[in-house]
Amino acid sequence: MRVKYSYLEEQFKNPDYILRDLEKLVKRGDFTLGKEVEIFEKRFAQLASAKFAVGVSSGTAALLLGLQAVGVGHDDEVITAPNTFFASVNAIAAVGAKPVFVDVGEDYNINSELIENAINERTKAIMPVHLTGRPAAMNEIVDIARKHGLKVIEDAAQAIGANYRGRHVGNFGDTGGFSFHPLKNLNVWGDAGMIITNNPDISVSLCELRNQGLKDRDTWTRYGHNLRISSLQALVGKHLIKDTSDLTERRIANALNYDKELRDIEEITFPQRMIELREVFHTYVIQAERRDELNKYLNEKGIESKIHYPVPLHLQPATKYLGYKKGDFPQTEMQAERIISLPVHPYLKEREKKKVIETIKEFYR
Amino acid sequence: MEVPYVNIALQYKGLEHEILPVVKEVLKSGSYILGKELNRFEHRIAGFCRTRYAIGVANGTDALRLSLHALNIGRDDEVITAPNSFIASAGAIAAVGAKPVFVDVGEDYNINSELIENAINERTKAIMPVHLTGRPAAMNEIVDIARKHGLKVIEDAAQAIGANYRGRRTGSLGDVGCFSTHPLKTLHTAGDGGFITTDSQEIYERIIKLRNHGLKNREESEFFGYNSRLDEIHAAILNTQLEYVEIWNKQRRDIALRYSSELSPIVDTPEEKSYEESSYHTFVIQAKNRDSLRLHLSNMGIETKIHYPIPIHLQQAAKYLGYRSGAFPVAERQSSQILSLPVYPELTSKQIEKVIEGVTSFYK
Repeated sequence: MRVKYSYLEEQFKNPDYILRDLEKLVKRGDFTLGKEVEIFEKRFAQLASAKFAVGVSSGTAALLLGLQAVGVGHDDEVITAPNTFFASVNAIAAVGAKPVFVDVGEDYNINSELIENAINERTKAIMPVHLTGRPAAMNEIVDIARKHGLKVIEDAAQAIGANYRGRHVGNFGDTGGFSFHPLKNLNVWGDAGMIITNNPDISVSLCELRNQGLKDRDTWTRYGHNLRISSLQALVGKHLIKDTSDLTERRIANALNYDKELRDIEEITFPQRMIELREVFHTYVIQAERRDELNKYLNEKGIESKIHYPVPLHLQPATKYLGYKKGDFPQTEMQAERIISLPVHPYLKEREKKKVIETIKEFYR
Repeated sequence: MEVPYVNIALQYKGLEHEILPVVKEVLKSGSYILGKELNRFEHRIAGFCRTRYAIGVANGTDALRLSLHALNIGRDDEVITAPNSFIASAGAIAAVGAKPVFVDVGEDYNINSELIENAINERTKAIMPVHLTGRPAAMNEIVDIARKHGLKVIEDAAQAIGANYRGRRTGSLGDVGCFSTHPLKTLHTAGDGGFITTDSQEIYERIIKLRNHGLKNREESEFFGYNSRLDEIHAAILNTQLEYVEIWNKQRRDIALRYSSELSPIVDTPEEKSYEESSYHTFVIQAKNRDSLRLHLSNMGIETKIHYPIPIHLQQAAKYLGYRSGAFPVAERQSSQILSLPVYPELTSKQIEKVIEGVTSFYK
């Protein structure tokens, strides 16, 4: 029995109801923005309790456009975490700004106590990442941002459905960026993303920026991009969003079950769960002694575990010019050697979950 | 009988039984990004364009942007292009931090190669000719100038799939060729899409990483990049549509040639040179009293468009560049006279006749 990390074949065993709708779209030929995008945006805004939602081509695009819409550009600095996916930093670099890293805490999220040390006169924004689907310390981060006149762009790519003190992530900052990549908690059949904001001016800017900077067909107010969400993917998202809450609950249940079963293994630790957070477990990440051996062992036993991510961003070739060195972010670096992601997707069967737990126990026996 | 300018729904009619099965197949495969459909499309489209490599990206604008980035064009660099293009060309240049520098066009709506050298200075890094309307720009002259000054050439071939220039395909004439597969393009998917062609292995390898976060492998990012991938679904649809491109191009050309032969005595119609073969993404005439003609046609139920009414250098977004009205007399004059007539394979003979009749009757 293999315990797979991905679940797409399982999830889309019966896609016919979506395909029938797709057939209608193909017949209408409504392929650039249009009705399907509007419906999906509306439903997503509702899910995230935000005033505005703007569909874009990917989670990366959601961050890039968020930064640009709040005026981050050349020679500006943006503070973010060094343990995130490449996209967060790529978005910062894409608008010409400089990524500045701040170490993370036990919860894998940016350590808000260290942020102020990194602020200088060029700092324009903070980009907290809700890594693994766990909300970052948004109250503290927003306070710091207000105090220093900074913008907040939430990287919520992994955190659809996550709440912080009852409020959906993405609503704390100026914008929140989400991803619908096939492996995300709300997934489509390719790349797509969404930005939420509660600011009408930012919403207008985002709509123009994603569509070549056009106000209407013939009026070009500013340079923009082509970062529109695919109408086809919006149609898919419009349907799948109905399952999101149920699938998220199943993920959370799987994660809490792991928590319970793995708690007593001395060689394993995981972040303390907090009552004021709703974590959605895009990944279920534990820290483990002899991680590489464990990872190998699990994979040999047919369990697809992964590492998110083995090399922190400040030690990647792409960021060399920033001048960081090993030792700059001790918590991140320590975690990079200990973290391992277990399959946590909603389609895991009972016996598969058992197998994961038994195999880990066996390894440390 | 109406003659709409485009009829996307009609364009996809009859194709849905080809498109939906492949979408379903992709869906079942569980592989939605950077998989075997894209791989197949890239090989086939490279063959079609007669280049060594092709790289699928999210859209035509990104094709330009990634190409500029791959050629190391960035801040403080200048890129020469035409002021009458769609705004994406100049937008892509600005997106990488470079400055668009415009050069006026000729009667073929393409950059006037004789004026290019005047615009070159020590900051110039590249020339971006646009094969506007599907008609190839003067690539021999442009490539010669580029070589002489050590510049790169990025073909904006978004409108020119399958067009030929001296027996070669557009997209194979510069350092890179950039294409769009937007629904309004001859080779189209059911949404945004695009690809880049090149003969250079070095550029190919750079763009492959640039489109996927700068990743060398799953764990290492070699340089900053983007997320600009062509979905498997769109690649699969393109694989079904690629079969028809030559036929569609021929149908477009037939309509265009018919318009030309009937209308050339009355209005200005495109005149191909012997070594050019336009793909007629648009069929653009120049007409006196353009706006009245447009209204006359509209009253007859014939829809037309203007590509484009306001040249890029006079747009608000380009204001910081400091160009004034009068800077590019040909582009500016054309913008008040050009009119795009409907030209697509689904037009019936009766509709084509009606368009011809519409234009003719206006000048009677």
